[in-house]
This record gives sequence, C-alpha cells and structure tokens, in this order.
Amino acid sequence: MTSSVLRHRALLTVGSVAAVALPFLSGATSTSLYTRILIGAVGAIGLNIVTGLTGQVSLGHSFFLAVGAYTAAVLGGTAGRTVIGHDLDMTIWLPAAFVAAAVVGAVVSPIAFRLRGLYLAILTLGMVFVGLHLFREWTSVTGGAGIGRPAAPAVLLGRPLAEDLAVGAVTATSPTQLYLLCLAVFALATLAFVNLRHSAFGRAMVAVRDRDVAAEAMGIASRRVKVVAFALAAGCAGVAGALSAAETGYIEPGSYDVLLSVEYLAIILIGGVGTAAGPLLGAVFVVGMPRIVEWAQPLLPFVAAGTRDDGILTRFELQTFLYGVLIVVFLIAQPDGVSGALTRARDSARTWPFSRLLDHN
Amino acid sequence: MSKSHSTRPAALLLASALLFGAAACGDDSDDTTSTGTSATPGESTAPAGAELELGDGVTEEPCPNAIDESHGCIYLGVLSDLTEGPFAQQGVAVQQGAVAFWRRVNEAGGIGGRFEVDIETYTRDNKYSPEEQVARYREMAPNILAVATSLGTPPTLAGLDLYHQDSMVVVPATFWSGWAFQGGFAPSGYSYCAESMNGLDWANDEFGPIDSVMAIHYPGDYGGDSAAGARVWAEANGVEFQDGDDLQTLPNASAGNQDAAVQALLRRNPDVVMLAVGPRETAEIVGRADAQGYEGRFIGSRPSWVGSLLEGEASQAIIDRFNPVSFIEPWGTDNAANAAMEEILGAGKVPSNDSFLFGWMWQYPVQALLDGAFEDGHLTREALTAALAEGIEVDYEGMMPDQVVGGDPASAVMRDALILQPDPANPLGSEVAEDFFIGDTAADFAFDAPCVEAG
Amino acid sequence: MDELLTALVRGVAQGSLYALLGLGFVVVFKASGVVNFAQPAIMLFGALATSVLAVDHGVWFPLALLFAVTATAAGSAVVERVVMRPMISKPPFAAAMVTIGLFIAAQVVASNLVGLEIRQLGDPWGLDRVDVGGVRIFHSDIAKLVAAVVVVTLLNRFFAVTRTGLAMRAAAHDQEVAIANGVPIGRLFGTAWAIAGALAALAGMFLGVGGVGIDTTTALLALKALPGVVLGGFDSIKGAIVGGVVVGVLEAVTKTYGQDHLAALGNNFDQVVPYVLLLGVLLVRPYGLFGSKDVLRP
Repeated sequence: MTSSVLRHRALLTVGSVAAVALPFLSGATSTSLYTRILIGAVGAIGLNIVTGLTGQVSLGHSFFLAVGAYTAAVLGGTAGRTVIGHDLDMTIWLPAAFVAAAVVGAVVSPIAFRLRGLYLAILTLGMVFVGLHLFREWTSVTGGAGIGRPAAPAVLLGRPLAEDLAVGAVTATSPTQLYLLCLAVFALATLAFVNLRHSAFGRAMVAVRDRDVAAEAMGIASRRVKVVAFALAAGCAGVAGALSAAETGYIEPGSYDVLLSVEYLAIILIGGVGTAAGPLLGAVFVVGMPRIVEWAQPLLPFVAAGTRDDGILTRFELQTFLYGVLIVVFLIAQPDGVSGALTRARDSARTWPFSRLLDHN
Repeated sequence: MSKSHSTRPAALLLASALLFGAAACGDDSDDTTSTGTSATPGESTAPAGAELELGDGVTEEPCPNAIDESHGCIYLGVLSDLTEGPFAQQGVAVQQGAVAFWRRVNEAGGIGGRFEVDIETYTRDNKYSPEEQVARYREMAPNILAVATSLGTPPTLAGLDLYHQDSMVVVPATFWSGWAFQGGFAPSGYSYCAESMNGLDWANDEFGPIDSVMAIHYPGDYGGDSAAGARVWAEANGVEFQDGDDLQTLPNASAGNQDAAVQALLRRNPDVVMLAVGPRETAEIVGRADAQGYEGRFIGSRPSWVGSLLEGEASQAIIDRFNPVSFIEPWGTDNAANAAMEEILGAGKVPSNDSFLFGWMWQYPVQALLDGAFEDGHLTREALTAALAEGIEVDYEGMMPDQVVGGDPASAVMRDALILQPDPANPLGSEVAEDFFIGDTAADFAFDAPCVEAG
Repeated sequence: MDELLTALVRGVAQGSLYALLGLGFVVVFKASGVVNFAQPAIMLFGALATSVLAVDHGVWFPLALLFAVTATAAGSAVVERVVMRPMISKPPFAAAMVTIGLFIAAQVVASNLVGLEIRQLGDPWGLDRVDVGGVRIFHSDIAKLVAAVVVVTLLNRFFAVTRTGLAMRAAAHDQEVAIANGVPIGRLFGTAWAIAGALAALAGMFLGVGGVGIDTTTALLALKALPGVVLGGFDSIKGAIVGGVVVGVLEAVTKTYGQDHLAALGNNFDQVVPYVLLLGVLLVRPYGLFGSKDVLRP
C-alpha cells in the first residue's frame, strides 16, 4: 500500500467525520442551509450524468424534480380536503421518488436518441411547460396552481424526524437529522457517480458524448447508454425533488419552472461539468448565494438597503444580478468550474497539501 | 479504495472544508437567541410597577438607523416578492408603504415611547416561492418579533408549521378567504370571494338586473377565490352560472395574449364580467372586447387594477366599462391615513403606486398588537399570538372601516367594500364611485369555510 | 365563421410576433451556433427605450423606434464583444449558458429601469381597427404581419447576397475552417448580435402595442417564440416565420375553441399545444421543417 493511498484513507475519514460533526457545531439555520446545499448537489449529480458524461443538455430537470416531489407527496403526504395522500414511510416514498422519476426519464428518453444539443434543450424546455400544465390541472395530486399542498413529511421507520433524537449525551435536533439523512444520500449518489464514471458503462457514455457514431461503430449501444443515463439523471432529480419538498414542507406547481432547471445547470457549470466534486461546489455557490450577498452587501456602496429610492439596485436585485454575473464570469474565466480552478491552483503550487488527491480526468 | 486517483476523498474533503467555511461565517444567532426576559424599566413610560418582558426580536439596543438612540428596537420580518416573482411590482410598493408607516410611528416616539420599530433589517425576497420563503424565514425567525408582511398565498402557507412552532404572528399580504381559518395570521380587509359578491351586487343595482355573468380569472388563491365568489353570487341571485361562464386564464408571460378570454366573452356576451387577472391583462381584455363591440360591464378584483392603465390606449374603454372593487379609500380621499401618508412622503408627493396604500394598511393590526402587548408588559411572540387569538379591534384611521382582526373567524370576516371609478384626474387614477356598503349576497353568506381550499 | 376568421387573423398576427421574436434567436444561431437566451432581456431594454423616448420625451414614434432599435443593436454588439467573444471556440452549450447568465443579470437591471408602473409605447396603432366582412382586424395586427414579412425578406437577402451574410453562414457551418480561411469571425458575431438586438427592440415594441404596455413580466414572453423557431428549423429564416405563424394560428384556434371542445385536457391547453406539435414534428423531422440537417452534427 502506497503512502498516497494511506493519505487518501486518512483524509476520507477526516472529511467524513467533519461532515457528520458539522450540524452539531452549527445552529439550526446554518444546518438547514447545508441540507439544502446537499439536496442541490444530489439533484446536480443527476444532471452531471446527463450533461457531463453523455453531453446532452437538458432543461427539463425541474420536471423530474417535480415528479419526485409529487410521487413522495402522494405516497407520504396526508390526504386533505382536495388532495390525496397515503401517509407512508420515507423508506417507501424516497425510493419511490427515484423509481418514478427514473421511469418517466426512461420513457421520455427516446426523444434523446433522435435529438441533440439545441433541439434536445428546447424539447426538454417543452417538457417543463407540459409538466407545468399537468401539475396546474391535476389538483388532486398538486393542490392546483396558486394553492399547492403540504409535502410528504420526513418520517423514517415510523419515527418523525421532526422530533429530537437523543443518543446517549448527544441530541440530534430535527434539522440535524434531516441533514444527516441528506448527507447519506449525497454520499451514496457521489459514490455511485464516481463508480459509474470509472465503469465500462461510464466510459461508454463518454465515448457516446465525444463521438456517438464512432462509439456505435465500436459496438457501444449508444441508445441503451442514453436511456440509462437519462433514467439515472431523472432518478437523482426525483430524490432531490422529494427531499427538497420535505425540507420546505410545502410544494406549489409554479416552483417547477425553467428557472429551477437553470439553477441546476448553473450548479454543475459553476462547480465543474463532469467532475465528482462539481455538484457540491456549485451547490455551495448557488444555494448559498443569498447568504454570500448578504455578507458582501456592506462592501458595495451603490446598493440600496431596502427600497428602490436610494441606490442603483436593491440588495435583492443585486443578489439576482450577481447570480447571473457569476455564471457568466465562471464560464468565461473558468470553463471547468471551481473544481477546475482548484486543480490549476494545485498545479501552480505544489505545496498544496492535498495536491495529489485532487486528480481529475 | 483500490483506485489511487479517485476523486472521492477529494470531494468529501472539499465538502467538509467548504461547509466548515460556510459555518464559520454563517450567522448562527439562533444559538445565542436574544436576551430573553431581561426586565429593565429604565426611564421608560412603561406601566408603573410592571416589569416589561422582552422576547425574541426585541432589544434594548437602538435600531440600526434609530431616530432616538435611547429607544430600544423591535424587529419585524418581511417576506415579499421583490425582484423576479410575478408580483414584484406590487411587492416593492407594498414594502415602501410599510416602511413609511413605521417611519411615522418611530418619528412619533415609537411603541410606548420606548421602542422604535425596524422593518428593513429583516426584509427578504421570497420570489413568490415556497422554498425561498421557508429558507429565508428560518434565517430571520430567531431575530424577529413578528412577520409584518408575507406576500403570496402559496409561500405564506408553506411556513405554516414553522410559524406555529415559533408562535409567530404573520401578516398575509393576500386576500385569500382562508386566512381567517388559520390561527396566527393577522389579515386585513375582505377576501377576493367577498369582493366578487359585493362587486356583482353593486353592478346589479347600478346597471339593472343582471341576467348573465362570467368570471375571467387566474387559477388559485386569487382568481379561484374570486370566481368562487362570483358563483356564490350567481346562485344566490338566481342567475345561471355554467362551467363555460367560469373561464380560467393565465398571465401574458405564459399565455401570450388574452384572446381566449376575449373570444369567449364576445361569444357568451354576458351582462357583467368579473375580472381577477393582472393589470396588463385587464387592459387587453377590456380594450379589445370594447373595440370588438362588447357593451357589457367589467367589475375588477382589486389586483386587476393600477392607475397607470389610464395612460394606455384602452383607457377610454376602462373609464367607460370597468369598475374595480376595493376596501380602502383611494389616494386623495380625505381621511387621516391618507393625510399621514402625504405628510411622511412630503407635500405634493404621490406614492409610487397604490400597492403603497395596502402596504401601509397592513401594518395597522401590527401596531395595535405591539401597543397592546407593551401595555400588558409582555413584548413577546406568545403575547402577540394570544392577543390575536382573542381578536383585536383595529382602527385604520379612516382608510377603511374599523375591523376586528383575529378571534372568531365568522365575526372577523370583513363584508364591506367600496366601488372605484377610474378617473384620470386623480394622481393614482381612481375616485370613489360608491362608498362603503355591504351587499345583500355578502351579508347573507356564512363564510364558514375558505371559498377555495388549500391542499 | 366570423369567429374562426377572427381566430385565424389573430393567430397570424401573434405568429408574426413570434417570428419577429424568433428571428433574433435564428440570426445569432446561424452565425455562431449559439442559442441566445439573453434575447428576452434585450427585448425588454429595446421596448423600454422606445417607451422612454416616445412617451416620456414625446419623440415622434417612428423616430423613437429608430433610435431604440439602433441603441439596442449597439448595446447588444457591445455585450457580444465583452462577454461572448471569449466564448468563441468553446462548446455551444457553455456559450448558451453564458447567455442564460446574461439574461438573469440583464433582466433584473431592465426590471429596475421599467419600475413599478406599466409603461406605454406611444404607438400609432392603438386599438384602431378595420372591418373586413364582419371580421374586425386591428391595425396593430396588420403592422406585425407587415413587419415580419419585411424583416424576413431583408434577412433572406442579407444571408443570400451580402459578403457578411455569406461569411456568417460559413462561420456557423464550421468555425475553425472559417477562421482558417480568414473570415473575421469576431466581427461577424458582433454583427449578428447587433441584428438580433435590433430585432429584439422591434419585437419588444410590438409586445406592448394595442394599449397593453410593458411591465417587468413581459420579457419571458419571448421564450414563447422558441417552439415556432424550432418547428421551422433553427437556422432557417423562412422557417422562423412559417413556424411562428403555424404555432400562432394553432394557438389561436385552441384558445377560441379549447374551452368548449377540449375541456378534458384542462384549462389553458393552448399553452401546451406548440410543444405537443413540436414533439410530433421533431420525432419525424429532427431538424425542423426547413432546417438544415447539419444542425444535428455540429
């Protein structure tokens, strides 16, 4: 065993322990921010499979997020005056959210055989509009536009995560438990992504991305590769949609619009397309953006504190503005995202202690 | 771990490093919640002999932009549509109205002469989205005494359990008919549902008996509620109301244009149309229907109208055929609230649009709650919630009739309305056509459940 | 019958508007292979400029429009120079994503400038109309159709005849080969963006005519042009107007009869119709009605 492998293991252990310990050292507000970052990363891992590995640009991610969220709500939610719900456990609705979204993804994927690039992007955009129509009208599932419904609550093995959990001297509050659950899902998804990428199947995906005709000639069943990639991506989105709904506690059809898809594209682009660390790094930026701007606001004199009268942009407008600008700047200056920038930082400074670990393909 | 070039450890390491970084600079004030029950009467005018209990969101330290540095500070939260959501134009003006309201209160010495009210520090953009609302609410909750504006029905409903957990009083900046039935909310004014009933009752009296009515509306808490009211009116008054008379439309940003509504209304040619859409859509529907020979009347739900509609080509049709319903007196009417607004804005100045007036109006119950809580010696969320559950008398300084907010839903329901006439002579575009009244339909209706149910 | 004719007329008018909105996408795509998602925000700037000049400053409407179109074209070219030029030779997907970032940033600034009111355009058509055998046709609808036809004719000539136009097509076909052959590719992209900006200003103006006006939510309507453009073939000028009109008419017919005859499909089904049509067409002809097959294998 080489020293680099040993160091790997040591750092992996330290990192895991730190990630698990994090919510116990933070307040409830920060913990729920971390939870949302992790959920964003899980959804982005899905998009990373489709965009990073097979090179297909999908604007339809929000549709799959919605499929997951509504599957969970119907199975795990409570029936109301107008909506249906079956009060089932999270152990059922979370896998079901994955399966339902993956099945829908596989069903729509034949479109992906025929179309590439722009045409696929616009057709998946269409999918979002068709989905919005469906969710607006299907009131027994969604509660309807402008109303919405409560989401499936997180009840794990019969125990609501809303209740504090005491193990010995340590008490895990409700946000902490949800964080740990999302951390586990995130770790699982990242592991799956890394293994997928290194598997024969993952290499087939990359081959299809780079030259699908050549890949076919080499005996790769590019159709099957695309179906599976699409289904996996949709499944991850479904899980993220269900978790995100549980975190918020309420869902409304209008949320699942194109801007949500764009947010996920922004996550992987800012993080670094096709990289394993990209989804998390991107999610830290995109999900954490309001906090970052709040922190930066006093440094920017031209921003008005609240109303429109006193400054060029209000701080809320500035948040949105910076979000847009960051996407632009990142893509121009760092086409391979934060994780690419980190790799370069390593290359330029060999003293970077983790240099050997930040390898990329 | 056989692959020495795996990115797995790197990812996890970065995860922890970044999350730690975020934790370090994160605002973890929720761990160190404010002073709690510190009791310092000091030089105050607090009730003699009583100790004042200060809860979360109330500090002895002055507000960030305090007028009088010796006063303490009460922080109110705002969750509103301020940039990219569908109601951002209204949201910004509502916020300006609320800020002006509290500036006036603070300049007059604040709450009990001891506390100023800050409504800007914890103002956040909910983008009209449940996710944003809940995330931003969680961040601000430890530091505020109440949520003074929560714009949008779906986002506001999203935080329901959280508000109850925190005993947080929330002012919903929407007219959905369901608020009265959800504890902990301090809504002002009528519901869209009652609004339709009164608008149609008035049209029935004013333009002769109505034989046919149509509702053109957005889906959901706004349009759905309004259409439900139109249906109730039709049933109560023996007017046929088929499914075809209930036409759902969407904003132009999704629908492209309002042709579906215009064509349907030309075909059915109803005596009166109840509109619950956006202002631009109002201009298009009224203008095009009139241009193509429609001779009936339009009654508009309050959000379907803004004064700037009178600057467009459809203005004549709007003046001729359209009357918005409202429950606050328009700008320029002689009442104490309007006078106060004019004073705080500066003589001759006009609010940016009339959502400003609503933003102002929604703060009266909050002020009543704070004054009451101060007098009782408990500036805490629990005290506000308890007072609200009892029901409080609110004086709106003449901009609308006094109202009981909170308490028993049936008695708290506002049934009054007034009718506006678009008028270019008014700086904000409307005059009173019919002063406050309660129509027969609304007077007889029970209001024992929301007209449109949530979930 | 009159109802159907009215629907057809309105559909053609709305389709012309979609074509005008869509041509901005087509021009940039034809030159650089990039979908410019910033187009909606540029459109809002253009409409705003027209409004400020014609209404706030009382400039004669045609002159105000001309200024607005020129200014928006110039602004659009500057954006291209600063933001898009570094993206040359990067994957089109990354470049498209840059335009999404641009859209988000520009939209918020445009909304701030539009402010809290509905802004009127000061256009000469208003709600005037002519009666043609019982069908009332709005002047503004005729103007939209005329504008779309004129623009399509001019653009077709531009791409077929002028050196710049031909060079643009070459550049879109294969950037590297074009560069190797000495095509000044940066300048071409600047020109394409300027044309797209001019078209955006024109289309934005038409969005607010007829007494409707513009407000901050207007911009997103531009995305409704995409199904028509894809239907026609993304790199086809002719396709943009055919696709736009087909979508416009189908939408108008659904709007007119949908409530009575398609009730089972839910309210506002007209919104989904373009995409259903698109799905059908793309499964048969993945490159649209008039698009070149090259688009599939860039």
